[in-house]
Order: sequence, then C-alpha cells, then structure tokens
Amino acid sequence: MASATVSVARLVLGLGLIASLVSIPGPARAHETKCPFCRKPVLQDTADLDNEVALKFGKKRIEYRCVLCAIAEAKTAYTGDLTIVAPTETKGQSVTITRKDGKWSMTPETAVFVGHKVNHKICDLGYRAVTNAAAFDAWVAKHKRDLEGAKPLSLDEMVKLAYAAESGG
Amino acid sequence: MTLPVILLALGMAGASAPLPPVPSDLPAWMSETTQNKVFYRRGAYNFDVYNLPSLARDLNAVAVGHAMAYEDLVTGRAATLESATFQRIDWVLKHPPRFMPDEATISSTFGRRYGFLEQVFDWAHLLHAQTVDVLASTRLTPAEKEREIEALYRFYREGTPYVITPLPMNMEFLDSQPYSMAFRRTYPKVNGLFWGYHWLQGAMYDILYGQSLDQQRLGYEVLGERYHQVELYRTDRAFMPMNAEVSPRFAIRFPELANTFDNLHMLHDLVNDILATRGLTEAQRDGQIRRAIWMLLDSTHRGEAAGRKVAAGLHDHRHPEGMPGMGMMKGATEDLMFMPDMGWMSMADCGHCSMPLPDGEDAWRAPTVTAEGWSMRVRCPLCARDMAAQMKGRAILRIPTDDPLRPLLLVSNDRGELGPDAPQALFLEQEGGHAKCDEWSAAVTSREAFEKYLAEHPRYAAGKPLTLEEWSERQGKKPDTYVKPKGPVEDPYAADAHVPEH
Repeated sequence: MASATVSVARLVLGLGLIASLVSIPGPARAHETKCPFCRKPVLQDTADLDNEVALKFGKKRIEYRCVLCAIAEAKTAYTGDLTIVAPTETKGQSVTITRKDGKWSMTPETAVFVGHKVNHKICDLGYRAVTNAAAFDAWVAKHKRDLEGAKPLSLDEMVKLAYAAESGG
Repeated sequence: MTLPVILLALGMAGASAPLPPVPSDLPAWMSETTQNKVFYRRGAYNFDVYNLPSLARDLNAVAVGHAMAYEDLVTGRAATLESATFQRIDWVLKHPPRFMPDEATISSTFGRRYGFLEQVFDWAHLLHAQTVDVLASTRLTPAEKEREIEALYRFYREGTPYVITPLPMNMEFLDSQPYSMAFRRTYPKVNGLFWGYHWLQGAMYDILYGQSLDQQRLGYEVLGERYHQVELYRTDRAFMPMNAEVSPRFAIRFPELANTFDNLHMLHDLVNDILATRGLTEAQRDGQIRRAIWMLLDSTHRGEAAGRKVAAGLHDHRHPEGMPGMGMMKGATEDLMFMPDMGWMSMADCGHCSMPLPDGEDAWRAPTVTAEGWSMRVRCPLCARDMAAQMKGRAILRIPTDDPLRPLLLVSNDRGELGPDAPQALFLEQEGGHAKCDEWSAAVTSREAFEKYLAEHPRYAAGKPLTLEEWSERQGKKPDTYVKPKGPVEDPYAADAHVPEH
C-alpha cells in the first residue's frame, strides 16, 4: 500500500506537533478522555505523581479517574477475571489489584486504601491506593485539609465501598 | 421568580425572546394545499435494504416513531408524550414492522396541518432510503454505487423545489432560536428517541459504505445492539448526533448528502422545539415552522458556497478543517470541534496519535474505529487496534488494505479480542515514531501484496508478516506525537446541561 498523501502544510503542522512536544512537561498521553464511570476527565500522570488507573480486561485497557471508579465498574461492566493497576503515593510504584474467580487480591499485600468521602473533583486524593500504613499516614498528613479523619481501608473494605458507590449508596 | 423561570421549572418551555419575523417571500409551494407525491427514482437496487432485514425493520420503526410523536403533539396528547406515547413508540421499536408504513396514515392530523413540512421531510427521507438501498445492494459494483449515489443526489436536488440545502450550516445559530431546546427540556425521553433515530440514520452509512454484504451484516449486528440498548434511551446528549461524528468516511466522500441529512435532522429539532413551546398561537407556530423550513431550503442559500462565511449566522457555511460534511458546532473553531464524550477533537488529525489524516483522493486510506456510539478516523491499523482496546465494550474496526475494494472489517469483543479471522490478510508492524505510522503499520490482502509493499518501502524490508492473530496480540506504545487539543472553553455545552427530568 502506498503511503497516504497529505498536503505539505498539514505535514508541517504534524511535525510541528512533534516539535511542540519538546516543550511539554512529561510524556504526552494518548486518548485523554473521560472516566467511563464518573464522566470526569481521566487525570494524567505528572512528573512527580502517577494518577492514571487502568483496568485490564482481556486485551482491553480502560483508564479510570480513580481506584473507586475502576472497582465500581468492575461490579457490573465486566464479567470475569480482571486486573486494576492503581497508582500510589510514589511515582513509578503501583498496586496491582486482581479479581480472579470472583475473589479479590492485591500486590503488594501491605497496601491499604484511602477511602475518604470527598468531592469527586479531588478523587485522586480521597480514593487512592498507598503502599503501606506508614504511607497512608503521610498521605493523609500531606492532604490534611481534605482528608482529616481518614482511616485506612483494606481491599475488602474498599471493594465494599466502591460496590456501594456503583449502586448509588 | 420570573414567569419564564417558573414555566421552565414546571417543564413548560416558553420562547425566551421575541419570535423572529417570518420572511415575506416564502416559496409559493408552501401555500399549496395539496401534496405532491414523488416516488423513487427507478433502480434495480430499490428496497435492497431488505438484504439487511434487521436494519430495514429498525428503519421502518423509526418512521412509525416519528409519526406517532407528531400526531400526539398536535392532537392534545402532549401531556402524556413522555408516558403513554413513549411506551407506545417503544413497543414499536422493540417489535419493528416488516414493511415501511405510510406515515400519513399514522399522523394524518399533523399531515393535514403541516403538509408543506411533510413535503420537505418526505423528499429527504426518500433520498435517505434510496441511498441505503444502493449501499446495501449486491447487484451494483462499488464503482456503480458511487455513481448511483451521485445520480440520486442530482435527482433529489433537481427533482422538486422541496430541497434541503447541502451546505454545512452553522448549527450553533440554528439551535439558538427563541424556542430552541424546548422539546429536549420538556420531553427528554421522546427527544432521546428522536436523536436515537437520527444516530441510527447517520451511523448506518459507515457500516454500509464500501463493505461487502457479510461485513454489513456483521457491522449492523454490533450497531443495532448499541442502538437498541443505549442510543435510543440516552437523555444526556448535548446536541443531536451529527453524520460526521458517526459516519466520517461517508461524510467526507459525500459531504452534500451528509449535510443534507444533518440539516434535515436539525429541521426536525426546530419543528419539535416550536411545537413544544407553550404560549404560541397556531398562527405563530405555523409561521415559525415555515421560517424554519425556509432557513434550511436550498433556494434560500442559492449562490452560496461551502467553506465560506458569507455572514454571521444563517449564511455561515464554514466547516471544520478536514470535514466538509459537517457544519460548525457550538463553540467550535475551524480547527477543533467538541464531542461531549471525547472533548475537543480535530477532525483532520488522528484521534490516537494526532498526526494528520489522509485527505482528498487518499481519504479512504484512513482506518476507522466505531465504539461507544461514535466513529473516528485514525491514521494506521495500529492506531485503530490500540484505540479500540482503550474503549469499553464492542468496537468495529475498518482497516483499508492494498486493495481499496477489500477493506478488513474486524469486531473487537468486550475483552478486546478481534474477529472474524481473515486468513489471507497480513499485517506489517515495525513500530517507531508516529510521524511515519501510516508506513510502518499496514494491512495487505495476500503474501504477494506484502512482498510488494516491502519492495516499495525498503526501510521496512526486515518486516515480518503477521497474521491477524499475531497482530491482535500486540499493543503499541503510547504515541509519541499525541497532543490533547485544547478548545476555547472547557465545555461549550456546559451551560445547557440543566435539564429537568420529567
């Protein structure tokens, strides 16, 4: 197949897009879209913090705004085994949450969840996986204004919370 | 609280500003009291829509749905439009008739009162129907189909005076009349049905265009399910579905038809809003409906050309860059348009990698992805595969090959698995920067074609042919070229998203 012809001007524009990336902090992300669950924009990773939550189902990889949204949709939108990769408090470290034969588990097992009721505008703060209890305390301290009184949730508790959200509870 | 606010709170939309004057020089045919019935242009393909029985029946039900709603609106049953009428229409949609009904027998009062409007609707509906017949025909070659659709359009444009303009129209202007949005606010469920019909009547074209009958049937199996399960019952749309949003290949190839159909659907919206606006006299309704028709008639825009902003408002015929088959949407710039589920998009660039899409005679080389109710052109097979993998639910991928007449049609199931198998097809994928993705990602129809492709592109000479199964296991990196377009505002429809449910 011969390559597609595009006008010189449009090609220049396209190459200009590449050039413009040089000045954009952090990697560009394909498909910055809305969360399938809450319809708010999916938050992108930054230079200091990962924010994208990915639900892997077969060959699909669907991005969500927060871990609560992903688990909530897992209840009804996906039947069978799946994996959710949730960002943590540390850039480059994630928690892998798996549902296999209906049972939930996660790696690392030391992870806990922030599951503090917040306005969904800041769900990346209020619903987040953190790598361990100490990280939880540090996260809550860092975001004291929004998370005061937050208690760490186990995976079972987080699933219960998210499933209730899916039901409007 | 002011009266308009009280009326709106009660779900009774009134006109928000003085009604615009009705032109004094309306076409003479609008005063005729008899109807001019014109039948199909002669063709062996007529009624070949029945090659796809489920699509044919769904379209038959659409006609019933339109007619039932209009008849109830003008015969004192508006108060139960969202309940009894909705249920009656919904039953028909779930049990679609085998044959196309004569709408005049269902909406006889409406037809008697607004015969001049029915004339415009019927003539454009006939163009819709015959275009689908041509596309669904197995008697015509692809080249004959292209020629016949062009002939059908000439027949439409020259056959009667009831012709809707083929120019892209400023949709923001048309949807900003004093009565605009009254129907969607007062009757959100029935409005959802109307927009669901218009979604189907737009989305069906890319399912049919350039595909074999088997591919059309496979495509409609996915599309029809989406129509029945989701699109008919959506009450969260900000605007009616546009042809270019759901059938971009067809809208690029036949912009005059795509614009005609969008303008037809906008005429439905204008009429619905006028009928739903409380406090108008019959004479005011009649006058405003005549004005709505006049705004969209071909004769009103004689001598004007697509792409030109003759004046602000009614005579603004610009279109987005890369998409001649669509008028300007609310808040759109000539570079960007807003899609409520996707945000700001450029129709000239790939939605996955942001690189320019092929245009002109090469437009057919762009694959498309249909998912979640929209269709989007992308730049290469990898972009199509990976974009589909990022979307929930089933998706349809149309991937051109070395043979323009033998595109692949693949369906991605809920788990992202691609089928049906295409034993002869081979893929090249030597992933690099997306500046060249339309070269290093390609699909061909045979081993010979693969070797020929490598010979023509020696920098990929080391490329190995991948079967569909091998290719579908892959996942590309996030494109290095992707840039999220930023529009002038975050969401131009945000202020409209109020809408009290009934």
